[in-house]
Amino acid sequence: MIDVAVTQPDGPNEALVRLRNVSKSFARIVAVEPLDLDIRRGDFLAILGPSGCGKTTLLRMIGGFLMPDTGRIEIDGQDVTTLGPERRPTNMVFQGYGLFPHMNVEQNIAYGLRMAKVPKAESERRVQKVIDLVRLGELARRAPEALSGGQQQRVALARALVMEPKVLLLDEPLAALDLQLRKVMQDELRRIHASIGGTFVIVTHDQGEALGLANRIAVMNEGRVVQAGSPEDIYARPATRFVANFIGDANLFTGQRQSGHVTLAGGARFPDAGGDGVVFVIVRPEALKPSTRADEFPISLPATLVDMVYLGSHLKLKVALPGGQEVTVHDTDLSLRERIQPGGPVYLGWSAAQHRVIDEP
Amino acid sequence: MNATIGEIGRSRSILLAPSALVFIGLFVLPMLYFFLVSFWQVSLFDLDRTFTVKNYIRTYQEYLGVAGFTFLIAGIIALLTTLIALGFAYAVRFKVGRFGTILLFGALISLFGGYLAKVYAWKTILGTNGILNTALLNLGVIDEPITAFIFNPGAVVVTLTHYLLPLAILPIYGSLRGVSDLTIEAARDLGSTPIATFFNIILPQCGSGLIASFSFTFLIAAGDYVTPRLVGGPSTTMIGNYIESLFGFRFDWPLGSAMSFSTLFCCVGILAVTSYLLIKAQRR
Repeated sequence: MIDVAVTQPDGPNEALVRLRNVSKSFARIVAVEPLDLDIRRGDFLAILGPSGCGKTTLLRMIGGFLMPDTGRIEIDGQDVTTLGPERRPTNMVFQGYGLFPHMNVEQNIAYGLRMAKVPKAESERRVQKVIDLVRLGELARRAPEALSGGQQQRVALARALVMEPKVLLLDEPLAALDLQLRKVMQDELRRIHASIGGTFVIVTHDQGEALGLANRIAVMNEGRVVQAGSPEDIYARPATRFVANFIGDANLFTGQRQSGHVTLAGGARFPDAGGDGVVFVIVRPEALKPSTRADEFPISLPATLVDMVYLGSHLKLKVALPGGQEVTVHDTDLSLRERIQPGGPVYLGWSAAQHRVIDEP
Repeated sequence: MNATIGEIGRSRSILLAPSALVFIGLFVLPMLYFFLVSFWQVSLFDLDRTFTVKNYIRTYQEYLGVAGFTFLIAGIIALLTTLIALGFAYAVRFKVGRFGTILLFGALISLFGGYLAKVYAWKTILGTNGILNTALLNLGVIDEPITAFIFNPGAVVVTLTHYLLPLAILPIYGSLRGVSDLTIEAARDLGSTPIATFFNIILPQCGSGLIASFSFTFLIAAGDYVTPRLVGGPSTTMIGNYIESLFGFRFDWPLGSAMSFSTLFCCVGILAVTSYLLIKAQRR
């Protein structure tokens, strides 16, 4: 085993990083609203959100590059709110890497150990270990400018990992790479996290990356964490319309709730506890089942098939509701093509377990 | 439209021709001429074109001390100017935010002040009845004017450092702009103190700017003869002053040329060694 990060699991729910009431503004523009966030030991947390949602500001506050306006930040029980990055047990992989151009790969990686005055023999051992871990092997003596983007990425990662940080921070580390390489580096990150343990926090605007890497996701929008939970939680039970739309595709139906029953615009009606008023019902494209009968599923809406595309593993259907709203349906049943035709009628059915009702103004 | 590479090359050389002619005619040819002259001699106020290396021998025998003194003064000025310029450029780039542009603008504006104006300004400041002495007298710090402010090597160093500063700031500032903030943040993140970051991350990345500034100021200072004459006094006669007088009323162009080229070669040698040492120090 490679013991690059400190791992002492004190129970699954112990928070290693604790943010309380943390906020930050830049010249009257609020980047991060006061928020609380716990990051558990061993977590691979993704902070996910559109650009400008405050996710990088949040990460930079955890790393010590920005001082929060309010609140406190604790790492492993220690209050680090006022400490700079040089005095925090965190290390950052920057979006632009920030490699030292006048040092070779090995010197780049060893720099932190040199600053910490780690004895030469130990430093060499640790650098070698981390070079093996990120598979940089024969590139150790190269200058950063002689490396490809993916290789530079690995050097940046190795340079942070060699410090054995309690929390490894990754600021959109894969954003500059092309799609192919991004997939490879995602697998690398997963492998490294699995092999050394440790706590990773990654900032990303790519929901696929968040779902593929993290075991916990915090979705941010307009300076707030709108939902935090496991990828399954967030995908299956989005807390707001924003989360539903941001993570994967989502179909949104408007309905009216009255005395414990919701009635959708298309006429479907089902029981759902809650106050009277307008509600939104979110159904994932793969949860919607096209049918030729109105009574095949507990909840059913009449519609017209607009288009059907064959995508190899599944069919993608574009369906129009009577009111004009377009709905996307994914179905793996390729025989649908024989039963329904574009322009023809179709019923969209699902069960209550597969949707999520949101009360929202 | 469909120009071949040969045609592009030809049109390019046509476009370059005027400036090449100016450069060759006004710089290369005169230099070559004086290089030839340095191997001639003078008899009865006329150039005698008999080949001789006597001028170089005389330069070595009679002016070695002067040359050493000149290079020492120029070295001090270049070192001082480069260090101050580094501090200034560092502040502009990293420390003062948007005031940096104003500071830089101020430094560049002072270039318009003119060389002689600055020399006379320092003469006015440092002179026996100058601003500094008057101020000290009025403050009661001293009872009679201090004459040691001016007409010594120190006054030359102060004057030339002041004059050369804006010229030294530019190359260093240029190379500091190339240092990305990200590398500095990364260094901090890895536990680097501000001083360690300065020496390990920032300084090695602006080596070319430092070499440029040092070379620039060293060459100008070593070749200057106006400042030493105006504020240096009799104790600060630099090699330029001798060369000037050889070309002037002493009418010994061959010796003057030999001294010029000796100075030039020494300067190039000194700068080569300095640059080499600096680059070697960076690699460490």
